[in-house]
Amino acid sequence: MMNVTLSLADFSAISPLLIILSGALLILLIESFFEVFSKKFSFYLTSLTIVLAFLAVLYTPVSHNPLLTPWLRFDPLSRVFALLFLGIGLGSTFLARAFFQQFDLDESIKSTSRGEYYFLLLSSVFGLLLIGNANDFLTMFLGIETLSIALYVLCGYMKEWKLSHESALKYVFMGALATAFFLYGIALVYGAVGTTTFPSLATRYHALVAHSDKILFLAGIAFITVGLAFKSAVVPFHVWAPDVYDGAPTPVTAFMAVGTKAGAFASFAIIFLLVLPKFDLMWNAAVSLLICVTLIYANAVALRQTHLRRFFAYSGISHAGFLLIPIVSGTPDSMTALMFYLVIYSLATLGAFAVIAFLDKQSTGVVFHDLHGLFRRSPWLAAILSLCVLTLAGIPPTAGFFAKFYVFKVAFESGHYALVVVGLLTAVLAAYYYLRIIAIMFTEAPVDAEAPKTSWTAAAVGLVSFAAIGVLSFYPAPLLMLLGSLR
Amino acid sequence: MSDLFTLFITPLIISAAAFLLPFLFRSTYGKIVAVALSLIPLALLIYGQPHWIGTSVSYKWLPPLGINFHLAVDSLSLVFLYLTAIIIPISFLALPKEGIVSSNTFYGMVFLLQGLLIGFFTARDLVVFTIFWESMLLPLFFIISYWGGAKRRAAALKFLVYMIAGSTLMVIGVLALHFATLQATGTSTFGFDLLGKTAETAPHAGWLFFIFLLAFCVKTPLFPFHGWLPDAYCQASTSGTILLSAILSKAGIYGIVRIGLGFFPTFMVEWGHLLLGLAIVGVFYGGLSAWVQNDFKRLIAYSSFSHVNFILVGLFVANQIAHEGAVLQALNHGVTIAALFLVAGWLEERIGSTAISRFSGAAKYLPHLCWLTLFFVLSSVALPGTNNFIGEFMILFGLFTTNPLLTAVLGLSVILSVIYMLRWMQKVYFGTPHLVEGIGRDIGWREISIALPLVFLVLWVGVYPTPVLNQILNTVRDTIVLETP
Repeated sequence: MMNVTLSLADFSAISPLLIILSGALLILLIESFFEVFSKKFSFYLTSLTIVLAFLAVLYTPVSHNPLLTPWLRFDPLSRVFALLFLGIGLGSTFLARAFFQQFDLDESIKSTSRGEYYFLLLSSVFGLLLIGNANDFLTMFLGIETLSIALYVLCGYMKEWKLSHESALKYVFMGALATAFFLYGIALVYGAVGTTTFPSLATRYHALVAHSDKILFLAGIAFITVGLAFKSAVVPFHVWAPDVYDGAPTPVTAFMAVGTKAGAFASFAIIFLLVLPKFDLMWNAAVSLLICVTLIYANAVALRQTHLRRFFAYSGISHAGFLLIPIVSGTPDSMTALMFYLVIYSLATLGAFAVIAFLDKQSTGVVFHDLHGLFRRSPWLAAILSLCVLTLAGIPPTAGFFAKFYVFKVAFESGHYALVVVGLLTAVLAAYYYLRIIAIMFTEAPVDAEAPKTSWTAAAVGLVSFAAIGVLSFYPAPLLMLLGSLR
Repeated sequence: MSDLFTLFITPLIISAAAFLLPFLFRSTYGKIVAVALSLIPLALLIYGQPHWIGTSVSYKWLPPLGINFHLAVDSLSLVFLYLTAIIIPISFLALPKEGIVSSNTFYGMVFLLQGLLIGFFTARDLVVFTIFWESMLLPLFFIISYWGGAKRRAAALKFLVYMIAGSTLMVIGVLALHFATLQATGTSTFGFDLLGKTAETAPHAGWLFFIFLLAFCVKTPLFPFHGWLPDAYCQASTSGTILLSAILSKAGIYGIVRIGLGFFPTFMVEWGHLLLGLAIVGVFYGGLSAWVQNDFKRLIAYSSFSHVNFILVGLFVANQIAHEGAVLQALNHGVTIAALFLVAGWLEERIGSTAISRFSGAAKYLPHLCWLTLFFVLSSVALPGTNNFIGEFMILFGLFTTNPLLTAVLGLSVILSVIYMLRWMQKVYFGTPHLVEGIGRDIGWREISIALPLVFLVLWVGVYPTPVLNQILNTVRDTIVLETP
């Protein structure tokens, strides 16, 4: 007899999702009815919600209720994903606070409360959690859409910015296209194997005998891959990224650079490492090609950027190339390597954006020129940005080196030598453009340089990422052990 | 905590202190504090002298990846550890008297470099070795790009990109050796002991040899990988140049001995002729370039390039005496080039320029500096009785046993070095005296007491090299398995 009710234990198993959802709705309610209260406290409420969800993830039991398990997974991997996403969400919340402190002071919209922003942010975090927990293509699709729709609005959140209009519109169109691809892929997969649920996908695929069914399935997977490649901005599906990153407000850019990327790669990892490991080597060969193109193109174009938001778009694209390497490799270590890279990348990018938040004063964001003489003006900001940038460049002894090294090891193990060579050679370009930022910070300060503003939230993000990268650089073993248990 | 770990961690702790406690290093006594602290590793080395060889530490660092934090000292490491310990205090002493901006950061960077170098010279795990190899670039990048001359930032970036480009493929070499060993022995390790045994039989061993050698040769640098050198040497401050020329180039040489001769001895013999040819071209290219320079800092930079290639000649000859000579010469060159840049820096401070033609007859105004410079110049041109004579003679001797003709050619380079060095001396110090406005005072006791230890080292190795040589004989026997064809 099937259990048709949800017990308290089942509710607590999905409590992270429920907490985020109710927190988001609560903030929306408060925003509608008590604007003054919302203006003061929505930031704290958001942070509290995320922290509660974080604790919930740590202590929730596993549910075996047949009402939930077809849709959601409750494995260690989903838990680690949830922790990563919530950490990213908290970081983005803090950065958003720093951003609004600056821009609400400057402009006439002083009285505007920002509750809706936090509502949208929590919604996108909810989407991320759903992706990490997904046990069915439909749940995953739901997660991706929740994430994306909230982000479309966030992108154009600064309504006064002309730049944002273009950015948001581009993002909607491109996002819709990606969604269409993804959904169509799911339909084809369903047509081939008659299910969208993850656990039975691999066995059903291998049981296929008719050639036409296999073609249908592969076509579906190809569409799904393209959809995800759009979301994760892999060349040649990246064209939206630079413009959208550039036009969005800086904290949204930070969230897209880290959150969307993490979400897209969580989907990649769940589908291609967990559900369908090495289902067809043709897929691996095709994606290897994408990686090579991505690495070469993104690293070459990043050389010429002068706007930091745009710069991080291209740097993010090149990191997407790196993140795909373990997925293509598909060795037992791949998941660990991917997660480790993702954690390090998120930490470093959030840290860099925390520093940017200190300098962010205009709608155009921070340009390289604003970094001149930063080392003289505020050595701590320069130190944090230097460490983050060195980590992103993967230069030892920072943890970024271990992340890259692990990815290369996995690729080497599975025989993808070309990827290792391309990755290493493009790393020289990456080293150049990342280190140029450091070189700029070491110049003399321009006369008209303004003092960086102060914000404890951005400082907290910067210091946490600085400390975390510092510790992980010298002693990454515990994190690696934790992630190593995921395979 | 073992002695070796103490030796490794001390500079790093001091470095952290320098970043976090700026007031300690920014006061009027900052330099004295820094010099005193930088002598700690030297003191540790001398104090523990009898038992250093053979000490090791090994911690499980990244068990999932099979990486151990394994450091060990053998006689080869010890030679380079001493060199590091001697040069770092010199680089502090070479700072201008009036101090520098953000001095605490400078000290912190140099101490960081020292810790990384100690780690590099003792690493026994290939990943740890690679990490130290790459990470030592960072402090140097900062040192050049913040405290150098007018075009320092471009020079620093060029330096770093050259270095990273040279060694970027090293990761693939490391991984290839790891998986070859895994296949051959079933052990997942990056340790030198096992990797060294399987290196030559690994798949594509020739390419792996090439990858490693390329990295080392760019840093040393072997001709024609020296594109970064003139700018970096000339744009860096005197201290930075001393670090670059006296220690960084030695890291490359250490790498060639440790990995090249230690892991791939037969490939070294096989490719020896080509490498030898490049090195000899480098000796002459450096010498001839030094000859035509009108700037004495550039002149010394090119002379350093020439002499480093001379050392490489010793390594690329399949002969034990030549190898011993090369290791000795690495030590000698480190001491001499540091001394030369030191006295050149003092001269620059006093005459306010590094141009050779602008000024002549300085001996009249700066007699003590003149004699000191002359002493180190003579050491650099390998006058018998100085340290370089012993080293270069051993290299030539070793080369003679395999190729007498080349020895004759290479011998000419000694004459070349006399020509360009004495040309500098003659033009700047011994020409007709022209009084230049604002010429500084002659060096005093402060400078002489800084230079005296170097004078002592030059003469000690030159006159009574036996203790040092015994040390180095062990080195080569321990590290290198030689098969003269």
